[in-house]
Amino acid sequence: MTAQFDFILIDDSAFDLFIYEKLIIKSGIGNSVRPFNSAEDALEYLTGEGESLPPTVILLDLQMPGMNGFEFIDKFDLLADQVKDKIRIYMLSSTIDTRDIDKAKASDSIIDLLSKPLEIGLLKTILTT
Amino acid sequence: MTDKQIRILYIDDEEHNLQSFKASFRKQYNITTTTSVVEAEGFMEQKEFHVVLADQRMPGMTGTQFFEKIRIRFPEPIRILITGHTDISAAIDAINKGEVFRFIDKPWDYTYVENAITHAFEIFNTRAELKQRNLDLEKAYEELDKFVYSASHDLRAPLMSVLGIVNLALMEDKVESQNEYLDLIKQSVKKLDTFIINIIDYYKNARGVATMTPINFQELVNDVTEAIRFLPEFENVEMTTDITQTGVFESDVMKLRIIFNNLISNAVKFQDPKKEKSFIKLSIHATPANTLITFEDNGLGIKKDDLEKIFKMFYRAGATNSGSGIGLYIVHEAINKLEGKIKVTSTLGEGSIFEIDIPSINK
Repeated sequence: MTAQFDFILIDDSAFDLFIYEKLIIKSGIGNSVRPFNSAEDALEYLTGEGESLPPTVILLDLQMPGMNGFEFIDKFDLLADQVKDKIRIYMLSSTIDTRDIDKAKASDSIIDLLSKPLEIGLLKTILTT
Repeated sequence: MTDKQIRILYIDDEEHNLQSFKASFRKQYNITTTTSVVEAEGFMEQKEFHVVLADQRMPGMTGTQFFEKIRIRFPEPIRILITGHTDISAAIDAINKGEVFRFIDKPWDYTYVENAITHAFEIFNTRAELKQRNLDLEKAYEELDKFVYSASHDLRAPLMSVLGIVNLALMEDKVESQNEYLDLIKQSVKKLDTFIINIIDYYKNARGVATMTPINFQELVNDVTEAIRFLPEFENVEMTTDITQTGVFESDVMKLRIIFNNLISNAVKFQDPKKEKSFIKLSIHATPANTLITFEDNGLGIKKDDLEKIFKMFYRAGATNSGSGIGLYIVHEAINKLEGKIKVTSTLGEGSIFEIDIPSINK
């Protein structure tokens, strides 16, 4: 049996949330999926859960109204280490702007930048190896 | 020729020179005179002059020294030196240090002075125009940069969504569920199309040539609502219009159409599903001088923090799926081009009121 993960999805596009949730569930790598359509709401959830949060994979969109992906990372960095240690963040974006790509690569909190649309096979490989 | 708009500052230590200059030109130009270079600087701080004339031989400071001193702080006014005896080294200094535009020989000749001032004013205007063009260009570059960044995102995002849906549909075994995916693809494609139409509107507004025609507001509103009426979201909206128009109001119908289209579409798009009945009240009061337009709705409303940002390019208030953040920016730009004003008041959960005042071109 393949390993399963708990996911948090952060994306302002209702389409994309719907698509990724379905993909994750169908592919069998998702134990649970929790979608948020704003980074603020997701941050509030993380703060509220604190250490009771299970090990979680976050797929984070970049361009969103209000708090964008990078701004979310800035706030995330301020959380307690016990919370941060349970979370692996992958940025998921359709950006082709080199400034964004460099910034994502330079960030310690972002493990990798994945391009949209999400390749579920690739995600599986990344998470299990 | 009278040209009272040309503002001249003349400095000469001999009062009678100032008097005779004023006597000759006061009907023609807006003239300020003084015998003191200190006072002259004071005047320049308070008022913008187009042309500054100074006598070369003054006690304390020569005209050239005065020009050299003010040149950095007040670079715009065109400098003319009045001199009684032309000695070559003084002339070299005047050009190199004072950067004067012309010399005027004493005793001066009326036509020669008039000619010098006319040319000086032309140069002043040309430089001012150039400066404005540079500012416009800077703004255009900045916008272009932002535009490419955000437009590439807004063009790619719906396409990537479509691709994601296709991937998902391919994993699906049941043929019946394909319709659900096709519907999602349709929505995504529509969103992309709306964005492209907006971009074309933006381009027409920013670069297109304005054509002024008499406006019939009743017709304009009918045209615009005709296109929106068939949106499924329009069903639950009751739109009332109150149009009074007296005399001829001239404006650019293209820009007005952009304004009406965006504001009405927004009111339809951002209606509040919690309310039993959504309404849009559009009132237009047109006279030959100006037109007042008010859009009132009982939609979702706008957060206080967002109110000042909604006219910015690509600013999207709220995490809704519709809207690319370009509509109100285009509205704002169109109103600016028409030299009008827009004011918005809104309460979250209650609704929004947009008030627009546009002057007529033939006012």
